[in-house]
Amino acid sequence: MQTIKVILASRPKILSDVIRNLIDCQPDMQVVGEVLDPIELLIAVMATPVDAVIVTPLASTGDPKICHHLLAERPRLKIIALSEEGDAAFLYESKSRKKRIDEPSGQLILSAIRESINRNQKGKKP
Amino acid sequence: MNEPIRIFIADDNRLLREGLASMLAQQEDMIVIGAAASGSEAMEQIKTLHPEVALIDIGMPDKDGIEVTQALHQDSPDVKVIILGMIDLTDEIMACIEAGATGYVLKEGSFDYLVETIRSVHRGESFCSPEVTASLFSRIAELAGARMPKIAKSSIKLTGRELEVVTLIAEGLSNKEIAQRLFIETQTVKNHVHNLLDKLQLHTRLEAVQYARARNLLKKKQ
Repeated sequence: MQTIKVILASRPKILSDVIRNLIDCQPDMQVVGEVLDPIELLIAVMATPVDAVIVTPLASTGDPKICHHLLAERPRLKIIALSEEGDAAFLYESKSRKKRIDEPSGQLILSAIRESINRNQKGKKP
Repeated sequence: MNEPIRIFIADDNRLLREGLASMLAQQEDMIVIGAAASGSEAMEQIKTLHPEVALIDIGMPDKDGIEVTQALHQDSPDVKVIILGMIDLTDEIMACIEAGATGYVLKEGSFDYLVETIRSVHRGESFCSPEVTASLFSRIAELAGARMPKIAKSSIKLTGRELEVVTLIAEGLSNKEIAQRLFIETQTVKNHVHNLLDKLQLHTRLEAVQYARARNLLKKKQ
């Protein structure tokens, strides 16, 4: 089983701790980095073999620019962007594909990442 | 081992609420007995569940953390409330303390810090993040500064002439009329008024009259 590598760019700190704990409890996932600002995140994504990024909080309306920058660098990257209010999360799979998750729980976020990575892997097979 | 600390969590952010519940449940000395996504739901559930410690988010959509804390302080005074705040706003922190909160923790603090706060509050201590404590001390210093002149005023003695002047001001006399009544120059009356305002750290003649009246300093008419 291949481990899904995740970078956290989450604020506030207590939410970041919660997400880290959630991922640490998953046998198929691993936190490979934790950053505090978009520039750090961009550098970390370019320097680390990473499958997914969880960023919080971002305004619930509009596309956060950082997601497009990250996907430009790593088109297969999965990005979960949590809204500032915590009432929604968005899964960015490619520049044109965005999926909204209402009232996101830990399990919903993890499932969205897994499903998206699985879709990619199936797409790769001949 | 002692009974675990019974905890309730109120936060509209599902990920945080459920995540905190899961992490707190991993602590041997804690048990999460309930959670709510809104202030009113929290108030209802807390009344029936009787937690020892309630973690209340400051910014919930229907009733905010301060309103919930106020209500709990009245209806369930045994519940110790820890507010989960987003930013270090002194006025907000003061409002939470006035409402009856026992602790105030910034969400920018770590989970470990929250756990320590829960234990401290459960032991009967009041607890705040270090950043919050700094804000509180600066506000206390401000309040102390505002009280100082009032304290000092109790030891201030007005002269007999100053008391005569303030009594005549209270009767509605102008400086000129006071001067005529006391057989002194108008400028001398002005000096007395200036001195007594300066001594009492007041700004107007009306304030001086109110001060003297409140302390029964006004001379009775002969």
